[in-house]
Parts: sequence; structure tokens; C-alpha cells
Amino acid sequence: MRRNELALLPKLPLLITESAEEFDALRDAFEREIKPQGIIEQLYVHDISAIVWEILRLRRCKAMIINAGFRNALEHLLMQLLTGPGQYEYQVQDEAKTLAHSWFTEQEAKKQVSEVLSRFDLDESAVEAEAIRRSSADLELLDRMLSSLETRRNKALGCVAEYRASLAHQLRESADRIIDAKGVLRLEDAGSERSTAA
Amino acid sequence: MASERQIAANRLNARKSTGPRSGAGRKRASRNAYRHGLTLNITSTVEVAKQLDKLARKIAGNTDDAITLECAGEIAQAELELARVRRAKVALIERASAFGELDPPQLTVTQMIQTLNALDRGGRHIVPKPIDAAATMPSQQPERLAEAIRRGLPQLRKLDRYERRAAAQRERGVLELADRIKSEHNL
Repeated sequence: MRRNELALLPKLPLLITESAEEFDALRDAFEREIKPQGIIEQLYVHDISAIVWEILRLRRCKAMIINAGFRNALEHLLMQLLTGPGQYEYQVQDEAKTLAHSWFTEQEAKKQVSEVLSRFDLDESAVEAEAIRRSSADLELLDRMLSSLETRRNKALGCVAEYRASLAHQLRESADRIIDAKGVLRLEDAGSERSTAA
Repeated sequence: MASERQIAANRLNARKSTGPRSGAGRKRASRNAYRHGLTLNITSTVEVAKQLDKLARKIAGNTDDAITLECAGEIAQAELELARVRRAKVALIERASAFGELDPPQLTVTQMIQTLNALDRGGRHIVPKPIDAAATMPSQQPERLAEAIRRGLPQLRKLDRYERRAAAQRERGVLELADRIKSEHNL
């Protein structure tokens, strides 16, 4: 039943670098939680999984954008910190560039950068902050997309609950009508009849 | 507000502008407003129409009620629209990852002016070679993918709008279907 319904739904397109097994595992996890009944609920579970998959993709991208900007951020920060009074930034540009480049590979350079930062009561979080500041335009766009996806995910979750509640209500009403129409013996009536017989 | 004289002048000028005259020009102009085709009807191919029909019937269940079938069709249509936008998003990221950009390199206005000025003077202006955007992409994954998403962000954001619209259409369809089932049960 479930396999038939899934076959009808369009497959989620994945990027070359993404794994179909990982997506299936994510959807299975949602299925275990939501326990969809019928095609409509299955459709929502598929949608929620697709949205969460995209949220994860964009979150990874966000972290990567900050990491990718780390070297430029460090270089820029070092230029500002190394520039002494009466000096121009271009005069320390080469030193900052070399130090920022070596920071990723050499322990000594790392120590040197830490010393420069601590001179101004700063630490590595200042570099991260600068990386974020420099990519703020991209990060803002990503954040907007993320919040739009999160809203849609929450809405889809709400829709499953709403649809399920509405269906349950209908089933209850139908069951009540069947009982009323068939004149099924009520429990209290059955009890009173038994006591009379006794 | 424009004066009578200005209005008359505008009308006169407008008559001079007749748009493209050649067949090729007219064909090109007819596609001026075309951007990505996401607003086109989804059932443009037989395969999609079949898929749509199967999904709609599954959603509608065992019913011949025309309104229920209509609601189910709307939900199925929205579901396939969503899939189409998602495919477009992935294709866009993959393209940005392969080429480093979404549009082919074009001459800047300054470069164009320089070239035209050089031609006016009867000389020759050497147009600089365009930057190979693919060469500016990180060579390793997942950095390359992140950079591709970053470069495609404005377009991805636009596609997001279409996705939201399709999702809203599906929600409306589901609500209508639920109401329809309810009224059928009440009959």
C-alpha cells in the first residue's frame, strides 16, 4: 500500500553529491513519527521530508560560506590590527596576507595570530564575526529562504494534524449515524433489560 | 499631469514606434516576457498528464463525484508543480556548479563604449577575454556546491516564490477535499 502510494508521488530531485539513501532514511524517520494514513497524509510526509532536506542543504551551505570567507576575513582583520599609528593599511598588506595564509597550515603562524588578536582583547571569534560580516548579503538571502522553508514545514505539519482531525471527526459522525440508524442496543438499556429479567 | 500638447506629441511619437518588423524580430519579441516557464501549464506532455491523472484518482478514492475529482486534480496538479520547481532548483545549482555562473559572460557597458569609440576612430579595440567563472569555483566538494548555491541565490529565491504558491494551492485543494468528503458523509 505504502509503496504504491510512494510510486505515484514525484521523486525528489537530488544534487549529484547528495545520497538517495540518506533522503529515504530521513523520510522513513518522518513516516515512523507521523504514521501517515492514506495518500494525502503520505503526500504531506513527502513534502515535509523534502523541505527538511532543503533546510539541511541550505544550513550546510551557510556554514560553508562562513568558512570560505575565513581567510579573507582574517587577512582584513590582521591588516587593521597590524597597522600602527601613522601607517597605512597597504603597508602591512603583505605581512597580513602571508600570516593569514599560513594560519591554516602552520602552528607558529596560528600562535602569532593569537598574540596579535589578544593584544586587542580579541580571539578567533572576531575572525568568524568578520567572515559573517563580509558575507552578510548572501547570509541574509539564505536566512530568508531558510525561514520561508521553516514556515512551510510548520504549516505542512499543521495541515497533517488538521486533515487528520477533520477525518477523525467525519469518521466519528459517520459511526454515530450508523449506530443511530440501526438502533443498536445501548449499554445502559441492555443492563436494565438484564436486571429486569433477573 | 501631461498637457494636451504633450499628449498629442506622445501619440504622434507612439505611432512612429511600430515594434519589430521582421519575422525573426517579432518571434524574439514574443518571448520578451519569458523567464523560466514555471507559470506554464503542467500538463504540457502526455506523460505528465498521465501521472497527474493517476495521482488525482488515487487522491479522490473510489468516487465518481465530479467536484471531488476536481479537488483531487487540483491537489495533484499542485504536487507536480512543486516537483517541477524543485527540479528547476536542483538544475540551477548543478549548472552554477558546472559553469560557475548562470549567464554567459557579457561585455560590460564600459567595454562596449570603448569598442564603439575605437571603431568610430577607425582603430581596433581589443576586447579583453571574459573571465572563466568555472575556474573561480572551488575544486573540492562540498565547498563547490556551497559556492554554486551562493552564486545562484537570487534565482533560487525567485523560485521559492513559485514553490510557496504551489504549496498554497495544494493546501486549498486539501481543505476543499476535506469539506467535500464531510458534506458527502452528511448526505
